[in-house]
Amino acid sequence: MARLFEYEGKNFLKDSSISCPEGYVAETASEAHDIAARMGKPVVVKAQVWVGGRGKAGAIKLANSPEEAETAARDILSMNVKGYPVRKVLVEEKLDILYEFYAGVIPDSSRHVRGPVAIFSTAGGMDIEDVPEDKVHRAPVEYEKGLPVYDGMDLAAGAGVPNELLTPVAGAISNLVGAFKRYDCTTLEINPLVVTRDGRLVAGDCRMSIDENATFRQREVKVTIPREFPREPTDFDILGWWVEETDFRGSGFVMTMENADAGAGCIGFHAIGGGSAMIGIDALSRVNLKAANFADTSGNPVASKVYRVAKVILSQPGIEGYLLAGFMIANQEQWHHAHALVKALREEVPKKPGFPCVLLLAGNKERESLKILREGLAGLPGRIEIYGSERVDDSDFIGQRMLSLMEEYRKDKASSGGGK
Amino acid sequence: MTEFKEKSISIEIDTARCTDCTTKACIEACQTYARGILQLVDGAPSVSHLGPEDVLRRGTECLACEYHCHQRGQQAINITIPIKGLEDFLAGQPLTGRA
Repeated sequence: MARLFEYEGKNFLKDSSISCPEGYVAETASEAHDIAARMGKPVVVKAQVWVGGRGKAGAIKLANSPEEAETAARDILSMNVKGYPVRKVLVEEKLDILYEFYAGVIPDSSRHVRGPVAIFSTAGGMDIEDVPEDKVHRAPVEYEKGLPVYDGMDLAAGAGVPNELLTPVAGAISNLVGAFKRYDCTTLEINPLVVTRDGRLVAGDCRMSIDENATFRQREVKVTIPREFPREPTDFDILGWWVEETDFRGSGFVMTMENADAGAGCIGFHAIGGGSAMIGIDALSRVNLKAANFADTSGNPVASKVYRVAKVILSQPGIEGYLLAGFMIANQEQWHHAHALVKALREEVPKKPGFPCVLLLAGNKERESLKILREGLAGLPGRIEIYGSERVDDSDFIGQRMLSLMEEYRKDKASSGGGK
Repeated sequence: MTEFKEKSISIEIDTARCTDCTTKACIEACQTYARGILQLVDGAPSVSHLGPEDVLRRGTECLACEYHCHQRGQQAINITIPIKGLEDFLAGQPLTGRA
């Protein structure tokens, strides 16, 4: 699923006739000041990050003046919320809250539903998972038909919404289901759905994710990388995605795992297959090394794609080694990996004399592939070790070799005054 | 000089060097690792027997010709594989917000 920020989701809610507080996005403290001055009323400054618990983390602050908004924005923009940096804030009018409800639509894959379900509760403003089950009300949605207002009315009435609010709440739920369908969502939640003291019904927050397979037809939804991501993509993630974006010949998945600071024991990590990747990361972890990135070239990718992935991995600043973690007897013809890696390493290793590379490659055409690697990489100024199926089940050995070569590399750099 | 493109790569062959080549390793490599789009014409590898569309369709971007030419031939083949964004990434230019 591809996630959107609160402010992005709210724009789509507005297009679906669901009211939202007046608000604008700022990327600097002075922008937040100007927005608050223009609005001329108390505001809330909210971090735009893809994690919950922003309030508890201090990433949502009230401000009664433009100066307070500027200070709040400065604080929030310097924060990491659960490890993720804040790059934008939403400056929004402060709401005078009477009631907080929860409204959401999620897919229910259980046998008796197999479709979207509208969920509503009068206990909004808190994690819906923490709300007692008897206060959470559900209505299965017939996908083609949506949720008619009269079904929304039943749902709201069953949850105990006061009579005078039934019509607007039912309308909002019905519109929310419409937005869920219109934007190919996998999750669409408003928590809280706020009733203000002056009688307005507005979306206090918005959590929206869309099906990554539908992004091609959701042109108005700006998704940088249509994949499941726990956070906003980094430049490295984008670089990796561009390898895959228009090339479907096998998998060439690359993404950030850690920030690879020099000296931190981060290794450029290149796995072949998901299971193999887990074994490889375990192998590194057991010797206190870290994978700087995740990468997988499986499903018989062409050599040019493997080359691109290897080059992207090797472009990471601060990595202290490269591990080809082929902990599997692969069916794919491994000589394409061999040709690709020889080309990539011939280009990159001379730039980093002594650079450690441990290459484990096993499976179909293994003998020929290892011959290509050994022949093609001979004489390069790196610490290159090549292994085949004799070590495919010996992850401890591979991890230890990676560690030993990296320590030698560090010593060399220290003695030559190379540092970073 | 022979030049042709596959789906996402460009291949340049300095055919002047091929006259001294005794192995013609690229031809064998193309048959072994791919679909044999390279054929020997006047002692040098060529795709002239195929139209550009056929080259695109049959080329598998295996990179084998370059490797085997380098190892056993005359280092006459050079394959360029562009990587979108890599240069900017290495230069510290932001990639976010770009299509």
